[in-house]
Amino acid sequence: MVKVVTDSCSDITPQLAQELGITVVPLYVQFGKETYRDNVDLSTEEFYHKLETSKIHPTTSTVTPAEFAKLFTKLAEETKEILTITLSEKFSVTYTAALQGKAMVKKDCRIEVIDSETGAGAQMLLVISAARMAQAGTNLEQIVGWVRRAIPRVHIRMSFDTLEYLRRGGRIGKAQAFLGGVLKVNPIVGVKDGATFPIARFRNRTQAMDFLVNFIKGFSRIEAVAIEDATTPDDLQALAERLKDIVQPEHTYRSKVSPVVGTHVGPHVLAVAVLEAE
Amino acid sequence: MKSDLADGQTLKDIFASGTAWLEKSAPDINAINVFPVPDGDTGTNMVLTMKFALEEAKSNSDNQVSSVAKSLAHGALMGARGNSGVILSQFFRGLARGLGGKTHFNGEDFARALGEASRAAYKGIVNPVEGTILTVLKDASKAAQEAVKDDDDLVVVLEAAVKSAEDSVARTPSLLPVLRDAGVVDAGGQGLYVLLDGALQFLKGESQKMQYRRPHLVVAETELVPKAAQRPTQLEMPHGYCTNFVLEGQNLDLDKIEKGLKKKGQSLIVTGDDTLVRVHIHSFEPGEILKYATKLGKLHEITINNMDDQYAEFIKMQRERMPQVDIAMVTVATGDGFFELLNSLGNIIIVPGGQTMNPSVHELWQAVESAPSDNIILLPNNKNIVSAASQVQSLTSKKLKVIPTRNIPQGIAAFLAFDYDMNLEQNAQVMEKAISKVKAIEVTRAMRGTRLNGLEIKKGQFIAILNDEDLIARADKIRDVILEALGKAGAEKAGIVTVYYGAETKEAEAQGIAQEIRDRYHTEVEVVYGGQPHYDYIVSLE
Repeated sequence: MVKVVTDSCSDITPQLAQELGITVVPLYVQFGKETYRDNVDLSTEEFYHKLETSKIHPTTSTVTPAEFAKLFTKLAEETKEILTITLSEKFSVTYTAALQGKAMVKKDCRIEVIDSETGAGAQMLLVISAARMAQAGTNLEQIVGWVRRAIPRVHIRMSFDTLEYLRRGGRIGKAQAFLGGVLKVNPIVGVKDGATFPIARFRNRTQAMDFLVNFIKGFSRIEAVAIEDATTPDDLQALAERLKDIVQPEHTYRSKVSPVVGTHVGPHVLAVAVLEAE
Repeated sequence: MKSDLADGQTLKDIFASGTAWLEKSAPDINAINVFPVPDGDTGTNMVLTMKFALEEAKSNSDNQVSSVAKSLAHGALMGARGNSGVILSQFFRGLARGLGGKTHFNGEDFARALGEASRAAYKGIVNPVEGTILTVLKDASKAAQEAVKDDDDLVVVLEAAVKSAEDSVARTPSLLPVLRDAGVVDAGGQGLYVLLDGALQFLKGESQKMQYRRPHLVVAETELVPKAAQRPTQLEMPHGYCTNFVLEGQNLDLDKIEKGLKKKGQSLIVTGDDTLVRVHIHSFEPGEILKYATKLGKLHEITINNMDDQYAEFIKMQRERMPQVDIAMVTVATGDGFFELLNSLGNIIIVPGGQTMNPSVHELWQAVESAPSDNIILLPNNKNIVSAASQVQSLTSKKLKVIPTRNIPQGIAAFLAFDYDMNLEQNAQVMEKAISKVKAIEVTRAMRGTRLNGLEIKKGQFIAILNDEDLIARADKIRDVILEALGKAGAEKAGIVTVYYGAETKEAEAQGIAQEIRDRYHTEVEVVYGGQPHYDYIVSLE
């Protein structure tokens, strides 16, 4: 059976990862000299509390090639086929590290590494589908083919209170067009060609949430949806309620923005991702 | 009887006379333009539009009436300012159609052309309202067509039209309740009547008398100060040849040269002394200019540039300097605060203008042409500029969407709603939806006592206008008028209230009022400097 590997920026909950047999490689968050494994040593609740109270702004770092090599070697004991789906290489060197790690593996095992060209909930939806296919016994080649075809069909939109975190972390990309406005706005940012992309702006969060709902409504054929918050579970609940009639709840995955992603997007993000049916 | 036929020159002359007559009464027409805000500029806009039309006709040397009418129509279109200006440009478009193919015209031709003009004017307006200039034009053209059955003399026909226009103007308050409330007749209708009356007097040979008379109207107390004087840049049509040379001779007479060249072009400058004169002129026939000058002496440093090419070059240069984008935005705004705000929101070309200074179709067109994309969204931000903006559509080869934003808050909401991920059509939809969710309250002082919406307003009182239409509050104190207007506009249900304070307003006062709004309506309030003239405050609810 194909083993599916991804990084912690996919925001997959530990429960779901376990259920689907997905190996999640944690990236790292540092507050000064303290280093935490994403979602392992530091829960999202602890992290956002620290983010809002700590005087030190956190930084993030990726998994090393050696760590990937070690993981792949261990997995190769139980499988001959490994699929790794990473965060967009425009956000992180995780993809490159995974490729280098693959080259270091000496066991007889096929390893495929795919750049998801996205992140967070959108990456999550690709990984979940791949893992379900693996569970159903689909071979590596077919899953890889499916993932590559599916990448253009996953879309993510994030609502922000501020773009300050994106700017500070150097991941703002073209969304810098939204910086420096005289008016207070709630920007919506998406990911296009693997990088951050400005979408639209609203005067308050209510309008921004309307946008997120309408964004999902705009798709005629939906395979799955992922919704995430950081510190606003009530907003997430409201969003889930409003999406309930558009997408069946069993195809809607709820999660929290992981600390590594949270470092770059900030504590008030609300995100929706959608996978269009083929 | 068969009347004498009039030519193109006559058409120029009658409208030149009409315009001069109109200019005399422009202050009076401005004064009765109380709807929706007592700030009128209808008279000024009509005069400025007519001047553009005449300028274009003057530079046309063809004496065929069809050709002159076409020039008038093109000039009026290019110079159209404000709603009445745009209607006037439609009037001339119809007139040109009615006179198409004619070398000369008589009363019958003119009556038919007036009919075409009336139809064109109605067609050009999305929601024609009776009791306005449209009704006056329709009545005048009907009367002209009746009169021509008995006599096809141009004077007889025009006389009937003028008489009917006068009666029609008098009836406008009974057709449009807002006029009746304010106790005035329609300003645009009045303007059209005066224009036609001036034309008639020329035909009757009464030009001399016109110098000492005023149009049949309330006598104005103030002198006409053309609004054009306030404009940041002097406009010039980019056409013809920019012709420069130095003339060397003896006993050269600068005044005489100026006089001799004046009619041959525009932007004439003649400087120097009696032996060396520098001449600069924009003309369609540079050859004529040089022919005239060579009779006076030797020519040096002759340069003739095609201004159309220069303009195209200028546009190209601007384009190269600005990175091309998928969709570019063009808007109209006034106030340094709003300029800064709009620029902070992204790349946008701002045409200065607003309530009391409507940009012309030509200025809007220029901005559209210079924008760094072939897909343009135009946000007029003023009710009176919306129709001018729509006229740009027929002038540009670019794909243009006009979002009918009627005020600055709507323009800002539309700009914010712009979705980088969507195409032009989708964005137009999203933006139109966004503007429907914004309410705008504009606060100003009444410039004259009046009655509107059943409210007695004293001169100098603060008034609040909702969505450029309804006067919803008036009070002596500015905080009272804002709080009352917000209550009526549904402030407690608003997600966010934004207070844009004007050029003459202190920030501390705006902050104080913002706090009162928060306390009373429990809503989020943001205070932003707009720097707008005319309105002390513009308040938006979203």
